[in-house]
Amino acid sequence: MNGSEGEGGEEATGSGHDAFGEEQRETLRRATRLEWITIAWMSVTVALVALVAGQSQAMRAAWAEDVLSLLPPIAFLVAARRIRKRPDRRHPYGFHRSIGVAHLVAAIALLAMGGYLAIDSAMTLVTVERPPIGLTVLFGHAIWSGWLMVAVMVVTSIGPVVLGRKKLALSETLHDKVLFADADMGKADWSTAVATIAGVIGVGLGLWWADAAAALLVSVSILRDGVKNLRGSIGGLTDGEARTYDDSAPHPLTRRIEERAEAEPWVGEASARVRDEGHVFHAEVFVVPVAGAEPTLERIAALRDRVDELDWKVHDVVIAPVPELPPTQTFRSTLRTGADDSP
Amino acid sequence: MTVPRRMRRLLVVAAATILLAGCQGGFPADPQGTLDRAREGVLRVGVSENPPWTDVADDGEVSGSEVDLLTDYAETIDAEVEWVPAGENTLAAMMREGQLDVVVGGLASDVPWTSEIAATRPYTTTTGPDGAEVKIVVGVRPGENALMTDIERFLAERGGEL
Repeated sequence: MNGSEGEGGEEATGSGHDAFGEEQRETLRRATRLEWITIAWMSVTVALVALVAGQSQAMRAAWAEDVLSLLPPIAFLVAARRIRKRPDRRHPYGFHRSIGVAHLVAAIALLAMGGYLAIDSAMTLVTVERPPIGLTVLFGHAIWSGWLMVAVMVVTSIGPVVLGRKKLALSETLHDKVLFADADMGKADWSTAVATIAGVIGVGLGLWWADAAAALLVSVSILRDGVKNLRGSIGGLTDGEARTYDDSAPHPLTRRIEERAEAEPWVGEASARVRDEGHVFHAEVFVVPVAGAEPTLERIAALRDRVDELDWKVHDVVIAPVPELPPTQTFRSTLRTGADDSP
Repeated sequence: MTVPRRMRRLLVVAAATILLAGCQGGFPADPQGTLDRAREGVLRVGVSENPPWTDVADDGEVSGSEVDLLTDYAETIDAEVEWVPAGENTLAAMMREGQLDVVVGGLASDVPWTSEIAATRPYTTTTGPDGAEVKIVVGVRPGENALMTDIERFLAERGGEL
C-alpha cells in the first residue's frame, strides 16, 4: 500500500484499496471489524452448541451450520487483504477477483450447509430415528436438556442477526457481494433459530419428527440462498454483465458510462462492456466518432478521465475508437434495451 | 427469508401449549407412551450379562448392581419388572422392535447401538482395560423422553447429584 499514496486517486488502475474513496475505506474498516466480531461470536457459539446439542438432529444441524458460517467471514477477510496488492506483470488485471472467489466460497459454504442439513434430516425422517433428549443437572437442579438448547439458540442467534443487519448496510456502500451473502445468511439465522426451537419443543411434546421436520424446512431456505449466491458468483467470475451488490438487477453504471461517452460532442455512438471484478468494475468503451470528428489522443484521454470520475467503482477504463460498433463485442446495456425496446 | 407473522403466532401458541403440558407434568412426553404404560404396570428390562453390573444365573435368575438399581427405580413408579436376559445385539434388535423399554449391562456412554439404544447421563464411572475412564449409563428406548428423564432423575438423586 505504501508508495501508492497520491497516485491512487488519480490513476484509474491500482490496488482495490486505491480505488476506494474515504467513505469506502472507512466502510471496509468497519466491515473488517464486524467480520472479526462475527468469527469470535461464531466460535463461542460453536463451542456452546456442541455442549448442549446431544442427540437432537436440529441442534446438530445448527452446529454444522455454525461451523460452516465461519467460512464467509474468513473468505471476506482473506479477500480484503488480497485486494490491497497492486497489479503487476503477472497479475495485469489486479487482485480484485479475490472478492469473486470469496463470494464463490461463501456460496459453496451455503450449499454444503443446506445439503448436509437436508440429507441428514430427511434420513432421520425416513429411518424413524426418535431423538432422545434427556436431563441435565445444572448447579444441583435437574433441567430438561431441551430447555438448555432453546436458551442457547436464543442467545447465540442474537449476534448473527444484529451483525447481519449492520453488514447488509455496509455491503451496498462497498458493492461487496461476499459481505452481502454473509449478512443475508446472518439475518436468516433467526429463522433457523425459531425453527430449531420449535423442533426441540415439538420433541418435548412427544412429536419425534418435529425436530427433523424443522431442520428440513431450514435446509430448503439455506439451499435456495446457496443456489442464488452460486449463480451470482459464477456469473461474476465468468464475466457476466455487472450487476448490483445483491445481484437483483443489471448495474446502472453500465448505462451511465455509455451516456457519459455519448455526451462528448465528438462521439456519435458508444457501447460499453462492463464486468464486475469484485468491488470495482473494468470497462471497455467502444466509441464511434461522428462524421468528420477526429478521435484525437487528447479527446480519448479526457473521455477516459471523465468516465473514471463517474463513480469510485469504475476502476479500469479502456476507450476504443472504432469506425462502427462491432456487433460481436458490443451490446447495449440491458437497462437501455429494456427502455428503448429496440430490436 | 423472514419468518411471517403467522409463524410467530404459531410460536406463541406452541409456547402456551408447552406451559400447559409442563403444568401437567407430561413434559417431555413419550411418543410411544412408555412411562405411562409401565407406571403401575410392567417395565420390560433387557439384561446383558456383564458382572458386577449384571449377572445371569443358569436358571435365568438375574442379579447385580444394575438389577438392584432398576428394581429400585421400578418401585418409584409402582411397576413390576420383566427381566429379559440376552446378548447385547439381541437386546438392541428387540429394542428396535419395541419389545423392551430399558437395557442394562454396564453399558458405556459410547454404546455403539445409538439408533436402537439411547444412553442416559452417566451415573457412575469405572476404569476400562486401557486405563481410561469409562462412563456407565443405562440404555433407554430412543425418543421416550419422559421415561428417560424420569430414570435420569432417579439416577441423579440416588447418586447424590440432586
